[in-house]
Amino acid sequence: MKARMLATQVALPMLAIAAVSAQAHAADFDWMKFKGKTVTFLANNNPVAQALLTYKADFEKLTGMTLKVDGYQEQQMRQRLVTVMNANSDEVDVFMTLPSREGEQFAAAGWYGDLTAIVKNEVAKEYDPAGLSQALLKAATFGGKLTSMPMNIEGPIFYYRTDIFKKCGIEAPKTIKEVEAAAAKIKTCDSAVTPFVSRGLKPAIAYTFSNMLHNIGGTYIASGKSNLCSAKGKEALDTYSRLLRDFGPPGVVNYSFQQISALYRSGRAAMAFESSNELRTVMEGGARLKDTGLLPFPAGEAGQVPTTIGWGMAVSSHSKQPEAAWYFVQWATSPEVQKKMALQGIAPPRPSVAKDPEYRKWIDEEPVRKEWQAALDVLATKGSSEVGYPIVANPESREFIGQAVQDLILKQKPIEQACADADKALDALIAQK
Amino acid sequence: MSDAAATLAQDRQKLEMSALSAPAVIFTVAMIAFPVVYTVWLGFQNFSSTGKQSFAGLANYSRLISDYEFWHGLWVTIALYVLSLVLQLVFGVWLALVLFHAKRLPGIVRSLFISPFMMPPVVAGMMWLVILDPSLGAANYMLQSFGLPPSDWLASPSLVIPTVALIDSWQWTPYVALIVLGGLQSLPPSVYEAAQIDGASPFKTFQRITLPLLLPTIVTAAILRSVDLLRFFDIIYITTQGGPGNASNTLNIYGFRVGFEFFNIGYASALMLTLTAIVFGAVLAFNRLRGAVAW
Repeated sequence: MKARMLATQVALPMLAIAAVSAQAHAADFDWMKFKGKTVTFLANNNPVAQALLTYKADFEKLTGMTLKVDGYQEQQMRQRLVTVMNANSDEVDVFMTLPSREGEQFAAAGWYGDLTAIVKNEVAKEYDPAGLSQALLKAATFGGKLTSMPMNIEGPIFYYRTDIFKKCGIEAPKTIKEVEAAAAKIKTCDSAVTPFVSRGLKPAIAYTFSNMLHNIGGTYIASGKSNLCSAKGKEALDTYSRLLRDFGPPGVVNYSFQQISALYRSGRAAMAFESSNELRTVMEGGARLKDTGLLPFPAGEAGQVPTTIGWGMAVSSHSKQPEAAWYFVQWATSPEVQKKMALQGIAPPRPSVAKDPEYRKWIDEEPVRKEWQAALDVLATKGSSEVGYPIVANPESREFIGQAVQDLILKQKPIEQACADADKALDALIAQK
Repeated sequence: MSDAAATLAQDRQKLEMSALSAPAVIFTVAMIAFPVVYTVWLGFQNFSSTGKQSFAGLANYSRLISDYEFWHGLWVTIALYVLSLVLQLVFGVWLALVLFHAKRLPGIVRSLFISPFMMPPVVAGMMWLVILDPSLGAANYMLQSFGLPPSDWLASPSLVIPTVALIDSWQWTPYVALIVLGGLQSLPPSVYEAAQIDGASPFKTFQRITLPLLLPTIVTAAILRSVDLLRFFDIIYITTQGGPGNASNTLNIYGFRVGFEFFNIGYASALMLTLTAIVFGAVLAFNRLRGAVAW
């Protein structure tokens, strides 16, 4: 595990830095090169794309191109993409993608255009690809090919109510065990609030569960086999499900980010483990602005290994104008645009933007924003992008992780059976070519 | 004009009319046939997780037999179908009778009662998801205010199917009522006059006259609802996504996930064609029943 983390956090990013740093900025780079062309962008209607598309007119003015936006909710966007790509259609030039989820699958299917060369040869002077998060660039590299450029950085973080902690005489937890102890104390101290909430909806569980598994020291795969029934795997399954069963809200098995944010924002949860992206939603109305503390998820026996992912922009391998499409990707992931998006609460995947004075001023306006940025800094430096199994069938693997956790929350199976059933199904997925 | 000439002119006119309507007919047939034929073809293909495609023969169909999720999905689909259909037919007939006999402001009463099925299912699903939320929802608040224990509703594996059936019935019972109301309005008044002269009680009149005469209309409503209920998707997708666990994973939800989340379009096509065959089977059975109860 340590060797793997070292490779993930140090060696491979260094290689990626070397690769993208070797770029030769085209001296004659001209934003107007593809003037008159139309680029079609398949977008997920999430806050990241919404913030980006605020500046759509700027792109069209800068390049003389027309940006046609085909926007859907996340799953519907994938549905559209599957249809388009299976038909080898050039209808989509650029699409949003989550490398941690579908990266292996889309790369193996050949849906991503290879950006490795273009990111070196066809860039504006101010683009600075080496300034992008190397962890995210590495996470978007499959078989040596760079497949997408990061739009944001995000991951699950720990939200807690400072006022409730103070009332119950509890310190901010530093370990997972302290989270459980704090939940038990809050349950007796303030019965009106839900002590702890995290994702319980089957397909959504892997996002938060992976952080706990890695913190505890577990791995999804060992010696080519699914590893949920290992001692660490069972400890993670047991701890995560116990926290939700004993201290979570009723009906937590249907909880994803919407329900968690709503519960926490309404003041009815003392601790929530949810995406850093939800800060804006959680703070809507301002009720939680002064009584919320933020941390990366507390450490387990293996320390803190937060989950760090980001949305990426990929050029379709079927696009008939990949260079024009790249110009859009380049503009959207440029320091200037990412700074504007950061000021709208989209965590920047560029450390330079995170240090920008204007952005720092925005961060310094509220203590909670400072804690948010501090948590994101930990995510950026220590994060693992492994959400679910690192295999081609990653989306399907999340189902079985979720099923095992739900079986335990609902007490439908003992842990030995829950993990064994999951391992059996996951071994079959791992064996798939 | 001789008879032969007149016949010739008629034949030519028919031919011209056929030629004129041919493009529209061909277009319509193609629009219906192409997706079906394409889905049948996809059902014989194997798509790997990476989207690579190869001929699979009947492998997708033989996989159905040993696929636990398929049989579980079939069970969930049938359980949801039977429960929802019974609720909607029973309450639909009752609501139709209420609307038929409403004397005060009948237009307003009818508009009010039939309004749920005007609502898009996604909106209905979102609304009920909020109402039935075990922590924040109004449903548990009301239960508790009457001294009753709160319920997990959609989060309970044992309650999720009845709860979804109730949501669907809330939305579609008025639709059944509207169909039955049309049937009620077309019943001959003479049989009621005869029953009144014979001194039949209101219950006997309903049992012996209204219900038998309404049966063809009720069966028609059952056919229309069967097609929708066996393809149940939207409300489940919004409220539970097939959960908790796989407790509400209908065949349609399962097929969608296999196709669009796991990218196995071949197996998803086989699943959907099997579901289509089940829908056709149900419609054919009800059609025969309608023939048997016709008057």
